[in-house]
Amino acid sequence: MDESQRNIIHVDMDAFYASIEMRDHPEYRHQPLVIARDPRTSGGRGVVATANYLARAAGIHSAMSAQEALERCKEAVFKQPDFTKYRAVSQQIHDIFHEVTDKIESVALDEAYLDITENKLDLDNPIEVGLFLQQKIWQETRLTSSIGISYNKFLAKEASDYRKPVGMTIIKEEDAHDFLMKLPIEKYRGVGKKTVPKMHELKVFTGADLYQLSENQLMHDFGKFGYMLYRRVRGIDDRPVEYLRERKSIGKERTYGQSLADETSVANQINFLSDLVSDTVQKQQKHGRTLVLKIRYQDFTTLTKRYTSKDFLPNDPKVFAQYANQLLEEMPDIERGVRLLGITITGLAPLDFDNISLPLFEIKGKDL
Amino acid sequence: MKFSIRRSVFIKELNNVQRAISSKTTIPILTGLKLVASDEGLTLTGSNADISIETVISASDEDNGLAIASTGAIVLPARFFSEIIKRLPEDTFELNVTEGFQTEITSGSAAFNVNGLDANNYPHLPEIDTTDAIKLDGAVFKELISQTVIAVSNQESRPILTGVHFELDADQFLAVATDSHRLSQRKVNLPTGSSTKHNVIIPGKSLIELSRMIGDEYDQVEMRLSENQALFILGETSFYTRLLEGTYPDTSRLIPSEAETTVEFEAPALLASIERASLLSHESRNNVIKLIIKPTEQTVTIFGNSPDVGKVEEDLKPNAVTGSELEISFNPDYMKDALHSFGQSTIKISFTSALRPFTLVPTEDQENFIQLITPVRTF
Repeated sequence: MDESQRNIIHVDMDAFYASIEMRDHPEYRHQPLVIARDPRTSGGRGVVATANYLARAAGIHSAMSAQEALERCKEAVFKQPDFTKYRAVSQQIHDIFHEVTDKIESVALDEAYLDITENKLDLDNPIEVGLFLQQKIWQETRLTSSIGISYNKFLAKEASDYRKPVGMTIIKEEDAHDFLMKLPIEKYRGVGKKTVPKMHELKVFTGADLYQLSENQLMHDFGKFGYMLYRRVRGIDDRPVEYLRERKSIGKERTYGQSLADETSVANQINFLSDLVSDTVQKQQKHGRTLVLKIRYQDFTTLTKRYTSKDFLPNDPKVFAQYANQLLEEMPDIERGVRLLGITITGLAPLDFDNISLPLFEIKGKDL
Repeated sequence: MKFSIRRSVFIKELNNVQRAISSKTTIPILTGLKLVASDEGLTLTGSNADISIETVISASDEDNGLAIASTGAIVLPARFFSEIIKRLPEDTFELNVTEGFQTEITSGSAAFNVNGLDANNYPHLPEIDTTDAIKLDGAVFKELISQTVIAVSNQESRPILTGVHFELDADQFLAVATDSHRLSQRKVNLPTGSSTKHNVIIPGKSLIELSRMIGDEYDQVEMRLSENQALFILGETSFYTRLLEGTYPDTSRLIPSEAETTVEFEAPALLASIERASLLSHESRNNVIKLIIKPTEQTVTIFGNSPDVGKVEEDLKPNAVTGSELEISFNPDYMKDALHSFGQSTIKISFTSALRPFTLVPTEDQENFIQLITPVRTF
């Protein structure tokens, strides 16, 4: 198999934003730290970007509402994210990656795949490369990372997730099968809240159970994702490390089992999708000029409409929702029933500049 | 209802009223033009619910050639009706409403029959219950609009920023607009006692239409402000606009009072340079240009670049440069809009730091007109 010839490293920074804040504010080190706006001053709004391990022990995790995080842990410290700073650190880490290889696929500020099959260090042993990265990142940023090494992206990511923080896990081809058989089903990428119960219904709790299912059955029950799972559980993933890839768009869509047939529920979903898209746009540190609204009716006719702005759209869920609603007005009767809605921001560019805003609506006393 | 009128007079007023009529409206009757013939004259009304314009063609002015044969009212499809009137063959035309709102329009040998609508179904114009009429110089008011309206926001997510904030006191009229990346403020002194205190936000779109109507024609504009409507009276024409609800942010605190670096330019010369540099910045996805100011050398250099096309560098010719050295980036389009509003004057630009807003004022009159622009932070 060609695959065994690749060496892929997945680098995952440990609680990245929280670790940076703990590095810069030693007083946070022994406290549960949540990177989110403080729900007590933001009126309960805001979502957890990440949390340190102390806060995670209290059951706090990313994407949870800040309010819920506070309820789980009264003594948690809330710190508003400073993406400008995180970007700068991420850049530092990427510079280290480039000392090893230029075949880097950034997944987020704190996560990347490196194809080190050929590397600038001329090291044959991938573990030495992993050690080099982990140590150099520590020396230059005083931050810890977890490293997964394997022969494809899927396994490299599973490996980095296997032991955290400050972990290094290698999955060799001869060990992959055992590793995958023991892996709990919820650890398989893409098996989330919705899929787990379905899996349990099929009596699938581990990789070994999954392995028993035929390709046909998996595709029947899970469609395209089933096809992928069938390959993943066999350790097959031939996706290349897409180092040339630049993300052109960020979009979110949802299919509704119960069609939406009135304006209020459509408007609610537009707000929800706008929040999701805005969140990802911010995490990716991008901005875009074009917003695309996609709508699929009950009868499966699908329409898209787009709005392109002269300047980059501010990354504000309210702005996204406003344009999406404008586009929605141009869509024919939604009373027909809407089974899918999607919002995408395209024409993306890295957020390497920021037009400073006047503090028009900020709290008194707070300046630019 | 039956009347005849000189076509050129009618068309001129029709053009004005049509500014308020939109073919896209949620209230179908508003796509129509309302005509009311009374003994005094002919009243034309158009509205899009935000803006309403009403004008009266007097029967007693002989130049209008208006003869009212019988009084009455009708609503006619505006776009279609105006196309017809503009293409009629003779200098005058006659309009006659017959059974069931059928309307005959005749001019020479041409005769049209148009279906009208019941004028009783046309919404009433807002009532302005104030006697406080503020008299403004037409040209000054038009200038005030053009100088501020450039800075209004076009994003509905902050509706009040789509308007211009008017603040009136006994003898001062302050107008401010901002889209949060730039701000424009104009002060006009009024004769003492011209006004009582007012604090309103007028939609930018309304002001643009109003300004076009003022044109060169009206020396004086009368402004009446009520709780949720503003009325502007230009001769025989009344222009109504809805006001934006909400409290306008306190913008006075945003204007810096001190400067670290100042430069002076002839506005048209700087504008030409900015336009040259933006040729390239527009090709880049960031649309940013950079100024490097060196007071010791009395130089200001402008840089623009596009990774795809190339770059530009130009040494500018400032009249004066003072203070500390500075490198600052900004969106050239904001600068262009601001510079246009200064016309031929000499301007002073005051900077505090690379990440703080900077201001532009005319050197001659630093008190009454100020433009503020926020810079761009580059990573």
